[in-house]
Amino acid sequence: MDFSFTDEQVDLREMVIKFARNELDYDLAEYDKNGEFPLEAWRKCAEMQFLGLPFDEEYGGGGSDFLTMSLVLNALGYACKDAGLVHAIATQVLCGMQIRMFGSEEQKQKYLPDVCSGKKIFAQAITEPDSGSDALSMRSRATWNGDGYLLNGTKMFITNGPIADVVIVFAVTDPDKKTLGGISCCFVEKGFAGFQQCNPIKKMGLTTLQNGELVFDACPIPPGNLMGKEGQGGMIFNESMEWERSFLPAAHLGTMERVLETSIRYAKERKSFGQSIGKFQSVSNKLAEMKMRLELGKLICWKAATLKDQGKRATLESSIGKLFISECLKQTCLDAVQIHGGYGYTTEYEIERDLRDSVAATIYSGTSELQYNIISRWLGL
Amino acid sequence: MEIKDTIKSFIMTELLAEKGLGSLADADPLIDSGIIDSFGIMALMSFLEEKFSIQIAGDELIPENFESVMRISALVAQKTECSLGV
Ligand SMILES: Cc1cc2nc3c(=O)[nH]c(=O)nc-3n(C[C@H](O)[C@H](O)[C@H](O)COP(=O)(O)OP(=O)(O)OC[C@H]3O[C@@H](n4cnc5c(N)ncnc54)[C@H](O)[C@@H]3O)c2cc1C
Repeated sequence: MDFSFTDEQVDLREMVIKFARNELDYDLAEYDKNGEFPLEAWRKCAEMQFLGLPFDEEYGGGGSDFLTMSLVLNALGYACKDAGLVHAIATQVLCGMQIRMFGSEEQKQKYLPDVCSGKKIFAQAITEPDSGSDALSMRSRATWNGDGYLLNGTKMFITNGPIADVVIVFAVTDPDKKTLGGISCCFVEKGFAGFQQCNPIKKMGLTTLQNGELVFDACPIPPGNLMGKEGQGGMIFNESMEWERSFLPAAHLGTMERVLETSIRYAKERKSFGQSIGKFQSVSNKLAEMKMRLELGKLICWKAATLKDQGKRATLESSIGKLFISECLKQTCLDAVQIHGGYGYTTEYEIERDLRDSVAATIYSGTSELQYNIISRWLGL
Repeated sequence: MEIKDTIKSFIMTELLAEKGLGSLADADPLIDSGIIDSFGIMALMSFLEEKFSIQIAGDELIPENFESVMRISALVAQKTECSLGV
């Protein structure tokens, strides 16, 4: 498999890095402290077409392939220190991909231009207070009442949820069927009767990302708001997870690269016992490990993206990539704090924020434990 | 091997091995019976796509298409005919 990037892709990555450094220059420490969503930065990213890159031009998209989009996300993870913003962008793109794959033509025309322009914020709601890893055991019910569906239930931890204009909600439509045929997917829009968006949940990291509980109390869903067919939700979920696990790690690799560079710089500058700390093997080994994780992570990430571009399945590759890269990100950030010593523990050096942000990567989109389970099942265990 | 037998053999060895079922009829329910769960469906689709050089996407990704060996074979037959331009 050839992982080399074209000149255009390399130039695009450089352009995104330059843009992020120059334009996404808000006071992140302040936003982090207040748990505030950087709306202006979101708009700037939308203007640059980061939200619409992989979608057809007729819907306002950039018409690029998945690998290129992954590379843009990677550049953002590298040059934008706000992992919350980067995750919000990725969620918007992933919602658009679901619509592209499973939405009707009418739904594509209605929603995709808003995905691309960022005028509306999108979210996808699967997790519930009592079901996360075992997502398909969800209890939210969409009941047919002759005119449409009535949606009842609660969703939890939903990224972009508190500020979303459109939410793709998964709910049970046929409790008698096993999960694969009993779940469906629908669009719920801000302002629908019985739809309540709760306040953002306070978190240890990714504080600018708005995560919250969504409550549906006899919320009427018009029949035209069903995405895909009734009973297709379980399969839409599977497909979406594969795209998501192929995509989000690209951002984490960007962060790992930035954290590595920062740590190398520090290891060269900081003196102890008359020499740079990078000369001590217990420090340089950590840096070498960081580099190994980064380079190995790139291989599996670009492989998964390339498979997806070829129209192939990447179930195993996306699980391996998601597990490996998220755990590597966490370890890399932890090692970076250690290399920076006391300074690494201060907010001023900003590494502690990367560490706080990194932990979530091993939880969302299927925990590390779940990825081990998937890989083991793949091995016939 | 016929399409049907190839599919059956995959299900028997990869998805049913632990359950020790001796046989599988063409019309036996696979999804409602839990033989194919949310992991099994991904494994099965990966197998079908690679083995028969097809892509299953969009509207075809519905549980009904994977309900039984018969339905899966019909989907594969239709897709392989399409890709051969028949
Ligand atoms: C920042 C963030 C963003 C998120 N965004 C979204 C979103 O946009 N949409 C959405 O729907 N959800 C979202 N989530 C929810 C996320 O997907 C769930 O938190 C995750 O799937 C885990 O579910 P849980 O929290 O209920 O933990 P549980 O499932 O209760 O798991 C608790 C622990 O048990 C382990 N465990 C559970 N089952 C098994 C098993 N079979 N084998 C081994 N170990 C197991 C888990 O790995 C974990 O360590 C987000 C979460 C976070 C933190």
